[in-house]
Amino acid sequence: MEKGGLLPVLDSSIQKIRSVSGGSSDVLINRFVTGGIHCALLCCEGMVSASVITELIFEPITDIPQQKDSHGLFHYINEELLLSTDRPEVGDYDTLFQLMNSGFAVLLAEGMTTGLAFGVQGYNTRGVQEPLGEGNIMGAHEGFTETVRTNMSQIRRRIKSPELVMELSKKGDKSSTDICLCYMKDRVPKALMERIRRSLDRVELEAVLTTGYLRPFVENGSFELFDSTGTTERPDVLCSKLIEGRVALLVDGVPYAIVIPRLFCESFQTLDDYAYKPYYATFIRWLKYGAFLIAVLLPSFYVAIVMYHPELLNSTLFMLLVDSEKKAPLSIVTEAFFVLIMYEVIREAGVRLPKPVGGAVSIISGLIIGDAAVNSGLVSTPLLTMTALSVLGGLVVPELNPQVTVLRFAFLISGGALGLFGISLLACAVLVNICATEDYGFPYMAPLSPFRKSGMGDTAVRSGIKKLQSRGFTVEEYHE
Amino acid sequence: MNRISKFQFTALLLITDLFSLCCCFGGISLGTLWGILAGTAVQYLAAMCFAVQGGALKKWAQVFFLVYAVFSGGALFVSLWRTRSAVYIPYEASHGIWGSLMTAGLIALVCLYASSTGIKSVTRAAVIAAVMALLSLSVDLVSALFNAEWSNVSLPEKRGLLGEILRGFGLSGSLGSMAVWLDSVKGDKSKALTAYFAAKAAAVTAVIVTVLPVVGGIMELTEFPVITAAQLSQPFEAQRIDSLFLVVFSVLAIFSVTLQVMTGAYLFGELLPRFQRWRSFTVIALVIGAAFIINGRELLTVRACAAAAALLIAPVGAKKSAAIGSG
Repeated sequence: MEKGGLLPVLDSSIQKIRSVSGGSSDVLINRFVTGGIHCALLCCEGMVSASVITELIFEPITDIPQQKDSHGLFHYINEELLLSTDRPEVGDYDTLFQLMNSGFAVLLAEGMTTGLAFGVQGYNTRGVQEPLGEGNIMGAHEGFTETVRTNMSQIRRRIKSPELVMELSKKGDKSSTDICLCYMKDRVPKALMERIRRSLDRVELEAVLTTGYLRPFVENGSFELFDSTGTTERPDVLCSKLIEGRVALLVDGVPYAIVIPRLFCESFQTLDDYAYKPYYATFIRWLKYGAFLIAVLLPSFYVAIVMYHPELLNSTLFMLLVDSEKKAPLSIVTEAFFVLIMYEVIREAGVRLPKPVGGAVSIISGLIIGDAAVNSGLVSTPLLTMTALSVLGGLVVPELNPQVTVLRFAFLISGGALGLFGISLLACAVLVNICATEDYGFPYMAPLSPFRKSGMGDTAVRSGIKKLQSRGFTVEEYHE
Repeated sequence: MNRISKFQFTALLLITDLFSLCCCFGGISLGTLWGILAGTAVQYLAAMCFAVQGGALKKWAQVFFLVYAVFSGGALFVSLWRTRSAVYIPYEASHGIWGSLMTAGLIALVCLYASSTGIKSVTRAAVIAAVMALLSLSVDLVSALFNAEWSNVSLPEKRGLLGEILRGFGLSGSLGSMAVWLDSVKGDKSKALTAYFAAKAAAVTAVIVTVLPVVGGIMELTEFPVITAAQLSQPFEAQRIDSLFLVVFSVLAIFSVTLQVMTGAYLFGELLPRFQRWRSFTVIALVIGAAFIINGRELLTVRACAAAAALLIAPVGAKKSAAIGSG
């Protein structure tokens, strides 16, 4: 769209607006005369609240006394009327459309090359609800919504400190999506903020529709299995991250926030950990570490041990496995591969289908297919048990689900081909990859490697809150 | 150059020494322990001279350490092939020379990937690998103690102390890498060296003192005493756990070779700055080539002489550090 001021002739200006918008039906143009000046109030249908615009804009504006010219009218509105708290000035058509499409009402007057915009947003949004993906028992039950300003208010409600900074900007040439960069200015190093801003400056997308569009720009470009940035849909979790000196990115239209940087150990921490007694929280944390290893390695270890290293089993277990595996028509690797693929198909179907049908899919797959597969002898019971345990283990750490899924298959293949030797080779490659994951100088494996003793209090165990309070931790401690 | 901590430095070097010890060929006795400890003490003193001298290496010294890294890497591959009769690697066991080649190829692939990520990530991973390996080894060896016959500790010694010192030097393939990477250690270099040599002495002592009472009775018959000790250590009555040693063994092998490849690739980059893209690949090809040349031979004397030369060349070939130069 061409740059430059608004046309002074109201008719020409309206004609221009109609031509740029292509006569779009949702662009509403209301012409009226107030204070003796011809004016037009523009807004986008469905983006503004009809009652707010009537009460706060139309009623006061139509009561304006006679003015000598348009400048006088705008001066009167600016000085005498408090129509809305958010009142930017419009200098060009680009801004006019941006504001109008964001729920502002724009007032144009005959002879003026600028317009007045009033924030009267009133579009329908989903209310604050309990997050679906991050379950919590003892903590708050509020999650982010799709509206960035609501999300900003949820954070502000929890951190009332003036050190909390929220910088709004727009990304996406076509979508003009609101992006909000949140940080505690006394906790985040200036250099890190500069680097994140520079990364975001590289965004030249036409639309930003989900957090996944922005994450590659703020992550290290090299091949990383694990994400060095995290996401959360919980304002309380995000606030804890901000206080630890991390940076958050809120994207309008997405009920998730991006957290920079993210550490591996954080995938095993939940807000509930801090609500329980330390001994129980520590137990739960180790349970999650174990579940992660089971999720990734159990099927491959089963296959490797049964195929190549049966001496690792005691004789009773060995005979039990031999007995059930000899009835199965497929090789153990094929069998395991088949069961895991079936699980992934069922899971994907359950996620994509409408909820009532999704439940039916689970019943059909779990009861009918699973039972039939075992009864027909297609799959052995021990293998099915191992796979189910592995899948359950993966559900304990939902954030790492993509990695767990892929690694489970990779380890299964390497274990099936080369036994424990293959598993060891792949484990080394994965270990190096995880250790190479780093974002803005924050190693993903910290505080494990590079080792930081101070970080162990909330990684290997969960120390008492009093002890953690005295620590005054910020993520800067892990910077290399 | 990236900076690494003294613990990362220690872990990376210790892994190579542990792997060499696992692949140690022929009978061992208490004399072996004294020999290796004496050798370690000599190495420590020489390394401290290098630490005091400080600074990066001169060009000719870099050429020497590049050759040394390729030779040590080749020797590690040969050790890996030699132990295949004792350590069961599924595919390799049934496919002879092609199996060995495939094992080498797979290890090379992992090493190639690891070295491409840089020293920082490899040292971070090495710390975790070293801790896991030491834990697993200690489980293996502690369970071995239940099968121990302590009278076996005083076995007759076959080699003299000098021979055992030579053996200790021969099993120290990480000395070249030590000289190359010492400059990148954060903080006090002499503390890093002290940590490394102390850890090495402790680990070697723990392993040999456990191996002697377990394998002692059949020392004459066994080729690889450390592997045999691990195989004899069975904490459970109804099942064997020696396959788990394979996991530790593989992890140690990978990080040992990766260290040599990374050292070689780094020196290649220093010597030929324009040669950037295929450095790791070239070094690993050279390492496998060297393994084929060495194949079947232990070359303990040559390895010992090379290690001794590395210790002598390191201080002589070091550029004077800024502090010393100005002082």
